[in-house]
Amino acid sequence: MTASIALPPALQVRGLQVSLGGRPVLQGVYFSVAAGRWVSIVGPNGAGKSTLLAALAGLLPAQGQISLLGQDVATMNPAYRARSLAWMGQNEPAGEDLRAWDVVLLGRLPHQGWLAGLQAHDLQVAEQALRSTQAWDWRERSMGTLSGGERQRVLLARALAVQAPVILFDEPLSHLDPPHQADWMDLTRALVAAGATVLSVLHEVSMALQADEMLMVHNGRLVHQGACADTRTHRALEQVFDQRIAVHTLDGQALVLPRRASSASQQERA
Amino acid sequence: MKQIIGMLYGALVSTLALAGVQITDDKGHEVRLEQAPKRIVSLYPSLTEAVCALGRCQDLVGVDRYSNFPASVRALPQLGGGLDPQIEAVFALKPDLVLAASSSPGADRLAALGLKVVQLEPKHYADTVRVLHTLATLLGVADAQPVIDKIDADFAAAQAQMPAQARGKKVYFEVSTGPYAAGASSFIGQTLQRLGLVNIVGPELGPFPKINPELVVRSQPDIVVVADSSLAGMAERPGWGQVRALQAHRVCTFNKDDGDVLVRAGPRMGQGALRLAQCLRRLYPPKDSL
Amino acid sequence: MKHYLFHRPLHLGLLLGLLTLLLLVLGTLAGSSGMDALPSVLRALQAGADDDGRMLAQIVWQIRLPRGVGAWLAGALLGLAGALAQSVFRNPLADPYLLGSASGASLGVCLALVAMDGALINVHWLGRVGLTGAAFAGAMVAVVMTAALARGVAQTLRLLLAGVVVAVVLGAGSSLVLQMHPQLLQSMQGFMLGSTAFVGWDGCALMLAALLVGLAVTWALGRWLDGLVLGEHTARSMGLPVDAMRWVLILTLALATGAAVAHTGLIAFVGLAAPHISRRMVRWGARHGAVLAAMLGGLLLAAADLLARLVIAPAELPVGVLTALLGGGYLLWLMRRAHGAGAMQ
Repeated sequence: MTASIALPPALQVRGLQVSLGGRPVLQGVYFSVAAGRWVSIVGPNGAGKSTLLAALAGLLPAQGQISLLGQDVATMNPAYRARSLAWMGQNEPAGEDLRAWDVVLLGRLPHQGWLAGLQAHDLQVAEQALRSTQAWDWRERSMGTLSGGERQRVLLARALAVQAPVILFDEPLSHLDPPHQADWMDLTRALVAAGATVLSVLHEVSMALQADEMLMVHNGRLVHQGACADTRTHRALEQVFDQRIAVHTLDGQALVLPRRASSASQQERA
Repeated sequence: MKQIIGMLYGALVSTLALAGVQITDDKGHEVRLEQAPKRIVSLYPSLTEAVCALGRCQDLVGVDRYSNFPASVRALPQLGGGLDPQIEAVFALKPDLVLAASSSPGADRLAALGLKVVQLEPKHYADTVRVLHTLATLLGVADAQPVIDKIDADFAAAQAQMPAQARGKKVYFEVSTGPYAAGASSFIGQTLQRLGLVNIVGPELGPFPKINPELVVRSQPDIVVVADSSLAGMAERPGWGQVRALQAHRVCTFNKDDGDVLVRAGPRMGQGALRLAQCLRRLYPPKDSL
Repeated sequence: MKHYLFHRPLHLGLLLGLLTLLLLVLGTLAGSSGMDALPSVLRALQAGADDDGRMLAQIVWQIRLPRGVGAWLAGALLGLAGALAQSVFRNPLADPYLLGSASGASLGVCLALVAMDGALINVHWLGRVGLTGAAFAGAMVAVVMTAALARGVAQTLRLLLAGVVVAVVLGAGSSLVLQMHPQLLQSMQGFMLGSTAFVGWDGCALMLAALLVGLAVTWALGRWLDGLVLGEHTARSMGLPVDAMRWVLILTLALATGAAVAHTGLIAFVGLAAPHISRRMVRWGARHGAVLAAMLGGLLLAAADLLARLVIAPAELPVGVLTALLGGGYLLWLMRRAHGAGAMQ
């Protein structure tokens, strides 16, 4: 990709610190993500990954500076921020009596004026979003009647309907079976190819390695940022998970497998 | 004749007082007292008044918080209300007789503690007569008749005071905002009937029904009786501006003390009727005084 | 393709409107002597009627009609408040009395009754404005207390807990006052059970004003209310000013509840049942849902008022008993039907 125009980084974070109940949950975070990249965020449970995404979306009080598309979020118009950044949380409620279609349409809220209704364009975007997550066929069904995977795809579509240049996904693959996981990956690649920036927290580490870059969070700190193809990233990944995993390469693709306890002690002795 | 019977009855009672008495109270419990009680607790205002009217005020050692007549009982220890008596306080006074209303929830508890509890709840004139006789027996008072005679005399005086024009007039007695009316079958209703007034709320509706305010407007009572605090604002009720009694101010109001007298079926029943009659006399001044 | 089914809410609204009219007309016939015949009422309303006729006409215009309309308006306010409460708390068990407004109004009325009990002078304005104003002020004060106790409206759980605390404390306050003034017990009981007996045209005007304000606010915030359904975080990420919205909605809730309670006392169940029934009839969209809940609430209370007057005329049943029977019964039937149809709830 030739960068003839110097685009500002989609996201730039300097000195981010988040405290919950007086305790620092995330501290000293510095990183920057260029536009048009897919970045995965990994780390052990409780490391602070979801907190990081929530702080980027402005859902938690945070200290430090966050720049979105070159502009400091502190001085940004909230409506503009809502249109620029879409966030999809983990285990969020969805109004059981609403139809899938209604839920996805709610994703157009950042673009609707206060009293304005829905335009034809909004309907088109919602349709497109539902089709891209293979959820169009049962758009009339209410959320309460959907399976976990179907529901997840509707919520994904909702985030897509925002049409934001920066999209944050927190555990987007939960409840999705492998074919649909692959679909999501293709979707993300397509979005990124079209210029969007995607950050996704993933606990499926193999999938995370398919991204362009990886951020590793451990104990509330950012311990590594690097390209997924880079072997240094692979080693850092093994380190973050206390050598309990091993990164293998198969047919040019990186693959993560858990390491058996005995082989772990063997490695240490080696 | 009445006096001879009274004396015989008194003699009988006095002998019984030495031998112990047994009565059946309003709840059907049989209570036996070996001798006349010297420490009485009363948890119901009309019973307090009855005890005092029978001349045994000095034997009261504790009353409920609502007993306020005669003035001397206010100095006595207050033991909660009829519905929430302070069990411990009552017990601590070591009464040899506890008087309570039939509806009092503490009575069973007190009886279980070994106290002698008599439950009486006079609701009408006939009840009051009976209760007075029962109390007289219990307290070892020779004769309840003088008290009853006084009530009758008050009623008679009230009836005498009633102006002729007021007889047969329609009356609406409001007990509280709701509007809750005193029906013909209530104690107040009976008093009104004795005075020769016609209640717009008939007996089929029960003693204190919540009525449709429209009824008052339709029935156009000649006299309205209401607590003085509720009077203001009555004419502003929707449609009540047409009630002729309110327009002409043919209203009898009663304050808190009057209210007590009117509501308690006790020895002061006749007084209630008397005060009403006096009010009516003001509303319908006899022609010769004009 | 249509996103919200505009047709059905409209049709339902028209149907409810017609039913309301029917109830209001029947209401003019129902009075202290049971049902009057329609012809006699019509005759009475014509010019040149006789004394009895004029009396009946006055009764219809000044007592029956404002009462029926007032019952509808109070029910609508409670239905709207219930819809708002369920939206703000995202809890189908929420009702308008959640934030302590019921206890606050009761205490206000209690204190006003005590003030009026002793005073003879100046009771005129106090009597008229007093009880109504006291109930309304009490409701608003309680809600503000709840918000203060929860230190803002940010967290719904804290708000709910604070509401419970305020309700219990103020309720205890009322009990204490009644202990000291037992003669007010019957009046307070009347208030607690709810009564439409004394609603006049001025009460109707006040309630209508409150209803219009409530509906306007709900309509304006409608789309954002829908957004809240996706959870607070998602809503915030889409730019919704969630805290400001909550404040506005809670204050509107307090206004609607206070206005209703001030005129008709604490009528139970309307605020809970109306939004539920609305949701089962038509797909939920905050705007339509709230308007529908208001209409259903109005219908429910108007019907309950009518029956309260008729069943043991000229005595009256407490209207709260009837709202529970009617509303609860219908809700139960709707739920059984849904389960019978095999819908996965």
